[in-house]
Amino acid sequence: MDGNDEQFENYLREFEPRRPRALELKRQSAPDSWRRLAAAAVVMIALGTSLWLVLHSPERQGFRTVSGDKAAVGIRLSIVPLTKLAETDPTQLDAELATASRRVLPDFRGEESTLQVLARK
Amino acid sequence: MESRKVSREDVTRLYHEHGPALLAYASSFVADRGLAEDLLHQVFAKLLEGGRSLPDVPAAYLYRAVRNAALNTRRNGFCETGLDATNGCFVHRGGDKEAALALQVALAALPDEQREVVVMRIWSGMTLDEVAAATGVSLNTVASRYRYALQKLREKLKPFQQTEEL
Repeated sequence: MDGNDEQFENYLREFEPRRPRALELKRQSAPDSWRRLAAAAVVMIALGTSLWLVLHSPERQGFRTVSGDKAAVGIRLSIVPLTKLAETDPTQLDAELATASRRVLPDFRGEESTLQVLARK
Repeated sequence: MESRKVSREDVTRLYHEHGPALLAYASSFVADRGLAEDLLHQVFAKLLEGGRSLPDVPAAYLYRAVRNAALNTRRNGFCETGLDATNGCFVHRGGDKEAALALQVALAALPDEQREVVVMRIWSGMTLDEVAAATGVSLNTVASRYRYALQKLREKLKPFQQTEEL
């Protein structure tokens, strides 16, 4: 490169490129690994909650509903005490079950029971 | 050598170092300065996407990315506005606006590879060795491209340079 070139280079350097407008960088979004971790945490929490609900459900604590209409009958037959009763006093168990069945099962002896209605027809 | 991920600080630093020269370079493809700035922003924003590694020669990557983005824009038929003093991307220290516009026109008329060498050398402050490494061609090729480019620019800017000397 000769002196002329250097002189011309210096001339070119007299021209300054304009500064571009400020760079607007968006906040970097969370990396994929963090997103995956967050998703896993949500799933774990959901699973944990479901498990807790199952473990603390009444059925799990010894109660098993025999009747479908709990609110109406207002009784729950507990498997565990009934089993104990069967082992110790079968007669008493029969009595308990008879009492419960009268409350739990539909009464077909009433005036307007299904059986009576059918019999009349 | 282990490559590291691009950080916001890297991007800001590179933008500060090469932004003006890259804007001039982009403006030689698309005359509209606003569009050239948009291209530049896209290229720098892309650097941050997806946890990329910092390129070995960031300047080479940036020049290539700007050129590709500018060519795509041109290919997609974006309207170019005419060149005027407010739209120009160079400012002459002595306030010669006409010379600044003439330089921009002269640069745009150069073949891509010659223009790239001149912008890298003069306004990004790279040595010819660095330009050769960045563009992946031999030093001799870079030197001859540079020489031809200077010759053409000198021809076109002669009237302005002479005025200045008077």
